[in-house]
Amino acid sequence: MAQVKLFGYSDRISVKPGEVIQFYVNADGTETAEAQLVRLIHGDQHPAGPGHVEQEIECPVNGRWRVEKQYTQVGSFLEAADTERRLALEGSFTLFAFVHPLWPQVGMRQCLLGRWDNDKNCGFGLGIKQNGLLEFWVGRGDEVDYLEAEVPLKANMWYFVAASLDAKTGRATLYQEGVVNRYNSVLGKVAPLDLSSHVSEVFRFRPKHLADTPFLMAGSRDWHEKRGHFVSQLYCGKIDRPGLFDRVLGRDELDLIRSGHRPPAKGMLAYWDTTHGYTDQGIGDTVTDVGPFNLHAKGYNRPVRAQTGWNWSGRNDCFRLAPDEYGGVEFHSDALIDCNWKQTKALKLPDNLRSGAYAMRLRAGPGTGLGEEYIPFFVRPKVPTGRIAFLVPTASYLAYANEHLSFDAPIVQGMTGMTPILTDIDVEMYKNPEFGHGCYDSWADGQGVCYSSYRRPVINMRPKYRISSMDITWQYPADLSVIAWLEHHNYDYDVLTDEDLDLEGVAALEPYRCVISGTHPEYYSERMMDATEDYIEGGGRYIYLGANGYYCNVAIRREEPWVLECRKFGDTWKAWEARPGEHYMATTGQKGGPWKCLGRPPQKIMGVGFVSEGFGRSEPFYRMPDSYDSSLSWITEGIEGEIIGDFGLAYDGAAGVELDRYDLTLGTPPNAKVIASSGGHTDNYITHVQVQLHQHPGITGSYDYRVRADMTYFAAPNDGAVFSCSSIAFGQALPVNGFENNVSRLLANVVNAFAKPGPLPDAARPEVTSPETAPAAS
Amino acid sequence: MPNATKIQDRDELFKQMFEAKQRDFLRTLVTTEVAEEHRIAPCGQHSEPLDRLLLYFNRRPLSERYAIMTIEPFKAYRVVALSGQRGVPPKDVDNEIYPSHIEAQHAIFLRNVQELLES
Repeated sequence: MAQVKLFGYSDRISVKPGEVIQFYVNADGTETAEAQLVRLIHGDQHPAGPGHVEQEIECPVNGRWRVEKQYTQVGSFLEAADTERRLALEGSFTLFAFVHPLWPQVGMRQCLLGRWDNDKNCGFGLGIKQNGLLEFWVGRGDEVDYLEAEVPLKANMWYFVAASLDAKTGRATLYQEGVVNRYNSVLGKVAPLDLSSHVSEVFRFRPKHLADTPFLMAGSRDWHEKRGHFVSQLYCGKIDRPGLFDRVLGRDELDLIRSGHRPPAKGMLAYWDTTHGYTDQGIGDTVTDVGPFNLHAKGYNRPVRAQTGWNWSGRNDCFRLAPDEYGGVEFHSDALIDCNWKQTKALKLPDNLRSGAYAMRLRAGPGTGLGEEYIPFFVRPKVPTGRIAFLVPTASYLAYANEHLSFDAPIVQGMTGMTPILTDIDVEMYKNPEFGHGCYDSWADGQGVCYSSYRRPVINMRPKYRISSMDITWQYPADLSVIAWLEHHNYDYDVLTDEDLDLEGVAALEPYRCVISGTHPEYYSERMMDATEDYIEGGGRYIYLGANGYYCNVAIRREEPWVLECRKFGDTWKAWEARPGEHYMATTGQKGGPWKCLGRPPQKIMGVGFVSEGFGRSEPFYRMPDSYDSSLSWITEGIEGEIIGDFGLAYDGAAGVELDRYDLTLGTPPNAKVIASSGGHTDNYITHVQVQLHQHPGITGSYDYRVRADMTYFAAPNDGAVFSCSSIAFGQALPVNGFENNVSRLLANVVNAFAKPGPLPDAARPEVTSPETAPAAS
Repeated sequence: MPNATKIQDRDELFKQMFEAKQRDFLRTLVTTEVAEEHRIAPCGQHSEPLDRLLLYFNRRPLSERYAIMTIEPFKAYRVVALSGQRGVPPKDVDNEIYPSHIEAQHAIFLRNVQELLES
């Protein structure tokens, strides 16, 4: 009997009562599952905390669901809108494109361009053979004629390739030439390479076409008995300015196109100008056909745009400066944006549903392990009611979604100093490309994953999940400890998500007196940064309950908020590195990467910013002199002694995992006070690359005073204020001892003061002077 | 000395030579005291000999690394070997069940030490 496995996702992550959410479930080994709506309270099973806590909620769809096996199309490709079958050519034709293969010797055929049915062997295609040779083929169903080049394509090099068929004579011709310049490829001009191949042969027959075969780029039509049509022969690499003619283009004409001339008008059926459509705000998924029939091509699983093209000169680092040099559209055989499964169930949320973290819990078979699934979502109120908002860092959940670090990242054990602790869910994800990747992974061809989405099962956005490389809860399940704390203290809170903040701006925060962040809000779009800054400046009170937040610029399309774009490069620790010239996001046209490098270090808004990370051990905070200032005594009221947080579910301390530090040079407001700081961190904690100009020995926990978390407070204009906890482990200290501990007490002191109407307790002593402008003592 | 005719990437040649010397040195650091130090605290601040050994083990190629498989969280664990091949799941190395991940981590350390001494 097959093992029972359930996985699912929803179409939305933030929903209001009365709105509809749709669920998509894949099942193996069962045709039914028991569904139950639950409100999630706590998700960390660490024995020192309350364990997993949920409440079952009445709803109309609780009960038995019919579930089925679902199929997922992985891989990105383009499909031309050829409803009139103009590309079903039976006469002479020529196909061409600039290509930059990433993995030509992958061992499977990759289709670059073609109207090809891989199941029925009908049509034509230009692609790459299993051994890396460029190949042109024509099929009539019972037989296929092939023509292959003489030298294999090399990875990460630009070529111009073409294939033509003379319908009268049957002569097929392949054209392959390198188009390497000083910048565009992995090897330069001094490497003695044979990149050219020109071969010709007479084919026995002309292509036979099926009516419904689509013209695809970076894949070809296939069929499976249970699955139906899908796309296989997926390509890894870039394609730039492909075209199709209804005649044989001569060698001299192809040479002209190769050298950058616009293709001739005569015989042009389609010419997809991959550089067309760039604006200051980015570019979408449609590639424009500037030929006579407007056969525009639509991207599936979001081919990566804003990539350098064959003619990138190295002078311009962004498509906004030289769109003509940014014709590269990049494809990956394991890209995944949306599983596009059949809907399993839809739920109109009950009108009386309280705001909070919810999930549709599904169980089948043993009801545990792979037989249990939670599809999480967040419920906002119809109208804000609470004084407090918990801002769920869903953008960061997306960045980390389905990370494969323990399996595929050689650096991770060296970084954590720990052995990965896996579960059967990790292994299930690893075995199946249908789960896709997150922005901490590389695609199989080696390029970094710059898109992540929640329209697929995200196994680490689940209660109970522990990040395998670090053996702690991380992001979603860690943030449930903050939810549990709010529940424990009966605070009237609402939840809202990064998605809401990105869409609505400061209006999403304004109704609340106090906003609390998640434990690691690392990935933040400009709209989110602006909204958060404006909220605080306008008198809002913000608790940054984590560390390494507001760190990396990301982008989200308004009309497709389930997808995040993230480009990693430059002055930062990174899981992969975007190529030169590819640092700007296709989604918005903004430069990606760390906010510090864009002129907005997190210190400018939160008073603190990332300084160090380490694993395996956390430390307590120790009270600093400012905590004894009588005007700030309300923060530490009820706390005995010097030590705060010598306990926690994340390595036994409230200061750990990732740490933030007060730094006037990076924009900490000059009136900021340091309430407590950690110290004594192990040498696994290394100072971040951004805080020094040069790496050298002695920049780790036991050597460098900067390796610490600074718990800070500052008053902002209009009675606003910011309290920053500066440690990811802070949130996981809250549940210890039934939430009765000094970290919990300190946070309650701050929340109570922040949520209370009127000025803050220390408002009688406003201080806005900077050290530079303060009058000298007389 | 590695066979240069079989390895195209010359960086790999130096790496193999470097690591052979490194292993010679690391073998001298293996003592019962180091093993006991690891047993007590596999994570945290370590002595230099233990630190050097762990840094070496934690930077082996993925195909030469072990991991811990959870049978029941906080109660039962097993040692597995990573495949180092994308999409290929880890394999069990034996049937031993450890009541804590700390003990499983130490078992992996002892395996790594044994392999180092035998290399």
